[in-house]
Amino acid sequence: MPDLGRAALVIAFLLLVYAAVGGAFAALTRRRRLAASAQNALTAAFGATAVASAVLLVALARHDFSFQYVAEHTSKDLPLGYTLTAFWGGQEGSLLLWLLVLCGYAAAAVLTTRRVARDLLAWTVPVLAGIASFFAFMLVFVSSPFATQHAPADGAGLNPSLQNPYMAIHPPMLYLGYVGLTVPFAFAMGALLSRRTDERWIVATRRWTLAAWAFLGVGQLLGAHWAYVEIGWGGYYAWDPVENAALMPWLVATAYLHSVMIQEKRGMLRVWNMVLVALAFGLSIFGTFLTRSGVIQSIHSFSQSTLGSWFLGFICVIAVGSTALILLRLPLLRSKTKLESLVSREATFLYNNLLLVALSLTILWGVIYPLVSQLVRGEPSTVSKPYYDFFLHTFGLPLLLLMGIGPLVAWRRASVRALGRTFFWPLIVALVAGVVLLVLGAGSSRVGVIAYTFCVFVLASIVLEFARGTRARKALGTESWPGAFVSLIARNRRRYGGYVVHAAVVLLAIGVAGSSAYQTVKEQRLFPGQSMTVAGNTYVFRGYESHRAANHLAIRAIVDEYHGSSHIATLHPGKNSYFAEQQVSNEVAIRHDLLTGADSFLIADQVNANGSIDLKILQKPLVNLIWLAGLVFVAGSLITLWPDAVEERRLAARYAGALAEA
Amino acid sequence: MTGALVIGAAIAVLCVVVVAWPFLREPNARDDRLIEPGALEQRRLAVAEERDRALAALKELEFDHRTGKISDDDYRSQVGPLRRRAADALRALDVRADGPRRPGRVGREV
Amino acid sequence: MIALSVAAVLAIFLVYTSLAGGTPSLRPSTLAGYSGTVSLVGKVVGTPTGDAHGAGLRFGLRDVKGGATTVPVLYHGTVPDLFAKGRDVVVQGRLRNGVFVAQRNSLLTKCPSKYAPAKSSSTS
Repeated sequence: MPDLGRAALVIAFLLLVYAAVGGAFAALTRRRRLAASAQNALTAAFGATAVASAVLLVALARHDFSFQYVAEHTSKDLPLGYTLTAFWGGQEGSLLLWLLVLCGYAAAAVLTTRRVARDLLAWTVPVLAGIASFFAFMLVFVSSPFATQHAPADGAGLNPSLQNPYMAIHPPMLYLGYVGLTVPFAFAMGALLSRRTDERWIVATRRWTLAAWAFLGVGQLLGAHWAYVEIGWGGYYAWDPVENAALMPWLVATAYLHSVMIQEKRGMLRVWNMVLVALAFGLSIFGTFLTRSGVIQSIHSFSQSTLGSWFLGFICVIAVGSTALILLRLPLLRSKTKLESLVSREATFLYNNLLLVALSLTILWGVIYPLVSQLVRGEPSTVSKPYYDFFLHTFGLPLLLLMGIGPLVAWRRASVRALGRTFFWPLIVALVAGVVLLVLGAGSSRVGVIAYTFCVFVLASIVLEFARGTRARKALGTESWPGAFVSLIARNRRRYGGYVVHAAVVLLAIGVAGSSAYQTVKEQRLFPGQSMTVAGNTYVFRGYESHRAANHLAIRAIVDEYHGSSHIATLHPGKNSYFAEQQVSNEVAIRHDLLTGADSFLIADQVNANGSIDLKILQKPLVNLIWLAGLVFVAGSLITLWPDAVEERRLAARYAGALAEA
Repeated sequence: MTGALVIGAAIAVLCVVVVAWPFLREPNARDDRLIEPGALEQRRLAVAEERDRALAALKELEFDHRTGKISDDDYRSQVGPLRRRAADALRALDVRADGPRRPGRVGREV
Repeated sequence: MIALSVAAVLAIFLVYTSLAGGTPSLRPSTLAGYSGTVSLVGKVVGTPTGDAHGAGLRFGLRDVKGGATTVPVLYHGTVPDLFAKGRDVVVQGRLRNGVFVAQRNSLLTKCPSKYAPAKSSSTS
């Protein structure tokens, strides 16, 4: 059976190399049948990869420990769900998942683009296949999931902290995001290679990019949530290189999504968009490189594997190749349209882009700083939370403000008087909110107050947009208010879906500000009967209880939470000791206050032999807004992604009309 | 193990057929040239995109005016040039199309 | 214009990092002589003793890749689940009278298995 898996991967590799080389040759010499054959090879490669994946899945389900990979990442007592998701729990399996998703995306993108931009495919297919063949190469020659061994009695088991539903789904979500960024990149390079100056590649890839960006965002939130509930140190983001690896391409992709709108509407920023899409893709590969090599010290990546050098080489090829191509086609890309005014929607989009890219680059700088400082000073130096926080505030707060300003500013040129009128109400509301917040004592954190005030400003401007739009729509016809509201969104999906996403970001910002700037932390050693007070609530430690489960021993502290004299909840923070894996895991207790959105977060820091506990309690205001923001984000993304029949027909007419057969 | 061998061989054969299919289907293709837009078509495409851009800008101007984002003065000063741009693009396309095809009216939609 | 602003931004954080400086990241064998706050990376040798939430947890650190120098560490605060003899750790602090006195809650343990994340730190 491992032979079938290996063979399938070899077949996939050969197909991809053929698709890349043959496709490139076909594009150069304009051969139709060869180009079609290359396209077929790309689709067939997906099939072969699927077969290899099926082999691994079956081996996992059967607990076939003759597969080294299965033995290293599962054990007999592991529940079926986690046994199957261990597919992507290790190095080789995750590479296979990457290849599977990449080939899937490639095949789907090619099949759906045939109508709109068939001639673009000539060069897009070789680019996609070339990238995929790198991963296939790694799977066949460097890091195979099908290595075999003499089967041991039982496997090593999965790290207990990974046995969590969020962690199970987090990698596929992230990959759908990372890998999805390959599609716009390939189309962009394809357009450059075939000397196209039109916007078809943008139109063709718009939904793919949006979907990838949405998946990447959701994947990161899932990871943050896992870190919050499972690792349980009280936070959700630690600026670890591996976390940053996903944030950087996401920020650049956000910038790209905005600037592409400018290219569509005004024909500007073409070179910038090419650079952005290449940067987003490059960062996504860099991200996966970080996670796998031991190059940057991180809690996550440890062993120096040979994979690192291969990935580095691949990143260099991509960087050099795309830069050279962009430079080569620079004359074609230059647009004649200029920015008319520094106070216009184009300008705010531009500022937004600059801030997003700047933030991404500062994070990148922070990630590689140890390497750089080692080269310059001889020994490595690391930056940590203060560095990242400084730049998050410096760039993030203006970005927040821009989210409120952008929608209110007109295209091309906005007169000051018009600005004054549209900004009036949001400004007033924000100022009032700011004063109220200061009165309520939020002034303890300067950044917090500023962030909150900006958030109110943005929310006010979003609400105003919806209100004005609904009123205008209602004035047109005989619809009721709700009807006008729904049809407003339905007819302007991109605009209003975008506003919903902005609202999600605002919720996220409020949640992050609340739970970091205004949290309360306290640690204390308690004997049974003793109590501690945190943020107005009293916590009484009653003692321990323990019970034995199938694969672990659970020790729980019993803590009663009181507000004044009324009992709110009984919480059970503690620890689990896993037998097979010989590891202890922290099991935190979290109480969600649905009314205020705050969390009481209890950590059993240390279980002491004398019956006492070292208890750490955090009170995190508004933290649940972060997860709510995730849901709103998904809703907004779905609205913008939703197919629009009218729009599709218009686009089809545009291209059919222009590309009439000679 | 032979089961795996058979499946593997079957997959390999299938892949070869899929890859060779364009050649198998048309062993003697008279025209093996890739369909690509020529220079004329590329220009037409650019003009079509320009037309759509102008029309979309007009629609958005109306929308912004209707929702109060743009004052009457600003609207009046911008709508003229935009309408001219749209008309120019429409005319350019008609010339290229060489026929009585007329794209749809500018709708006053929100 | 774009290029200028990007360059200006890059300059800002280059200046910030070179002035504020990062925290040097050292190994037990290279620690000697440093008096400021540093980040120490090493492998835990010997059995840890003491109480991190009481008088202090004491353990020894040696270079991850092996070496003769062992640095004694005194730590207060949260101890990650994976912390044990033989594991690789990172801790911030400064050397005082031959003992590396760690900053509270700054101990991070690396996960022993490749590609599987696990951390326990008191940041954010």
